[in-house]
Amino acid sequence: MKILSKAFSVDCTAAVLLMSLSFTGVSVANASSKPFPTKAVTLTMWWWGDQEAPGAKLWVDDTVKAYKKKHPNVTINTVLQTTDGLVPAFAAAAAAKKGPDLQYFWGGIYSQQPGWDGQIAPISDYIPAAELKHYVNSSAELLFQGKIWTAPWYVNPSFPVLARTDVLGKYNLKVPATWKDLLYVCDVLSAKGVPALAGGVKDGWFGGWLYSIIGGQSVSSNKDVVAAVVGTQKFTDPIHAEWWTRLQETKEHKCWNSDINSLELYQAQQLWKDGKAAMTVVAGPDAPNFANAVGASKVVVMAMPKWSNGKFAGKMGSTSQTIGITQWSKNKEVAADFLMFSHEKAQLDNWFKRTGSMPADDRFDLGMVKDPIKKALFQSALPGAPYLENFIPAQLDTDAIFANVQLVLSGKKSGKDAAADSQAVMERLRKTDRNLVKNFTAWSK
Amino acid sequence: MINSAPTDYLFTTPRKLWVVIGRLRRSGPFLWVLPAGFCVVLIFGYSILDLVQQSFKYRGAWVGFENFSLVLTDPLFRTAIFHNFLLLFAVPILATLSFICAVLLFETRKGMKFYRSAVFLPYILPIPVIGVVFGQLLQLNGALNSALRALGLNGLALDWLGDPQQALWTMGGIIIWKEVGFGTILILARLISLPLETLEAARIDGAGFFRLHLKVTLPQLRPVILFYIINEAIVMVSWVFNYVYVMTNGQGGPGKATVVSELYIYRSAFQNKSPELAATAALLLLLATLIFIIGFFRIQRNLNKGPFDE
Repeated sequence: MKILSKAFSVDCTAAVLLMSLSFTGVSVANASSKPFPTKAVTLTMWWWGDQEAPGAKLWVDDTVKAYKKKHPNVTINTVLQTTDGLVPAFAAAAAAKKGPDLQYFWGGIYSQQPGWDGQIAPISDYIPAAELKHYVNSSAELLFQGKIWTAPWYVNPSFPVLARTDVLGKYNLKVPATWKDLLYVCDVLSAKGVPALAGGVKDGWFGGWLYSIIGGQSVSSNKDVVAAVVGTQKFTDPIHAEWWTRLQETKEHKCWNSDINSLELYQAQQLWKDGKAAMTVVAGPDAPNFANAVGASKVVVMAMPKWSNGKFAGKMGSTSQTIGITQWSKNKEVAADFLMFSHEKAQLDNWFKRTGSMPADDRFDLGMVKDPIKKALFQSALPGAPYLENFIPAQLDTDAIFANVQLVLSGKKSGKDAAADSQAVMERLRKTDRNLVKNFTAWSK
Repeated sequence: MINSAPTDYLFTTPRKLWVVIGRLRRSGPFLWVLPAGFCVVLIFGYSILDLVQQSFKYRGAWVGFENFSLVLTDPLFRTAIFHNFLLLFAVPILATLSFICAVLLFETRKGMKFYRSAVFLPYILPIPVIGVVFGQLLQLNGALNSALRALGLNGLALDWLGDPQQALWTMGGIIIWKEVGFGTILILARLISLPLETLEAARIDGAGFFRLHLKVTLPQLRPVILFYIINEAIVMVSWVFNYVYVMTNGQGGPGKATVVSELYIYRSAFQNKSPELAATAALLLLLATLIFIIGFFRIQRNLNKGPFDE
């Protein structure tokens, strides 16, 4: 099996060490030392993740059961949320100050914003620093003024491109490594009526992925993105805008399935599984499942082909999906204890066993990973490129990125206009969210 | 004996009693609706007051009309309102189709029950079901376009929900398909209750099918059609959220092609966490809907006026 990933060259042990060291700057203290309650305690956890890491539900059930065995007085009710309902359901709960004790959050802004809005308690107030330092990706995405908002749960290498060598080989094509190669593959395959890339943007989410994996190639750090958010840079500046032109090129070269605008992401990925498209982009934790579904020997896992010489070109992003403790929870210490329990060796190993994806803990024994695809993915995430979508306001993501990706890919808008619209939306956001600049500036420090 | 009673008792007490009874009679209807009115005030009154209060605040601090200025200058809000306005074009289509369907059902001798059910069925289907079914059916490579291509009608195989120029009209078409059943049944019910003598007399006088229904039936159905028109106008202004949410995964896409005011409010409140902007937009929407309702009552009052009314 052939795996294309720059991160492959990274020595695993060194990477783990690097991650551990990156936590040394975190000032975490005050972890609670209250005695564990003996009375009956009920916790509610709203979570998401089975959608991108199939098997997560089994792990949640196993872990809750194991915790019940350890603490018979604690009952944990779990509710799996839908993708579209995850954010709004929590927003409604937060408005009512009633709902889950433990809540799932995507990383970056999706964890920061609830913290800024006073909806969650910093996890670093309840989990000791010595424990937290092992949680992967918490410093870059979750740290705010010395506190860490949420506890990383599993790592999402974001987002691998999967190429089918059998489909490409049928037309004497090689797996594209550069942008030029990719456009050539698109030209050849589109002439034969085969989409080079399968995607669906009807539900919007894929737009954010594309922004991160194409747009991430021209920035030098996540601070560039935050600078554009607070207004010291612009989304029309070349390092932020050029990716829109690249996206437009994919439309012009007919890279995508023609129905990309009327399909949801998961529906479109099926085209790749069915052999009707040469490549697709999938969630990191789900990549091994996709590869195994069509035969791992026919699949190459790689980062988006390079179009720039930027620092992160040819690298996959890395983000951790997280769990936070709500501000209104009456059992924060117990909730934190459960989170720490979920990072114990047995649970880390079980996560890998159940989902085949990587738990967000540097104590996880990478030696357990034998599958070369998984190994490449895990190594690419330690340390990976910043996942850009997590560093912009969620509203910019939906109103500018999702919407303009749909328009560019339908051929109704140029890349240049899309960049200008993104900037206009951002300028407006700075007016409507009066705390945005202050919060983002504090976050970037 | 009555005559022996003191005069003040004789004349004042019964008079007072009648005054009280008279007053009670006049206020009787109000007393009957008092419990329901109390509930309405409690539920809606409180919400509306809270809405008004929120629309003048930001994170609890008074900001005057700042939120109104932000919402009214937001291009997305204006786009959303424009889309609601465009959807109003579906109302006359709905009224016309409902009238035609109702007349056809009225004139149908055989299988009326079956046809009536067939027309009404879409109305009772849950919107999420409709959204999912049409979402699949109308994909670029979905069942409808496959059928059109099989018939050689490739030019008609459009990206119904994926093309920003088609999406809103497609949405309008789906709303018409669902809502026409309600209008048909409403008009048909009124049609059945009309005195048959008038229609018979017109027929005897030689009125054909079209003349009969345009000149005799239609004028008699005017109040119910007007009610339906106002009802559907309110639907188009403030009741299309479900369609948009289900068919575009809550995005109002492609781009901003199907964003409507309710979706704007929902996203402001629950996705963008700007409850104040959501409250402001909701207040503006409420005012727009109130204009429709007041307009309806005024028109209805004028229609109900007889020739001898002042």
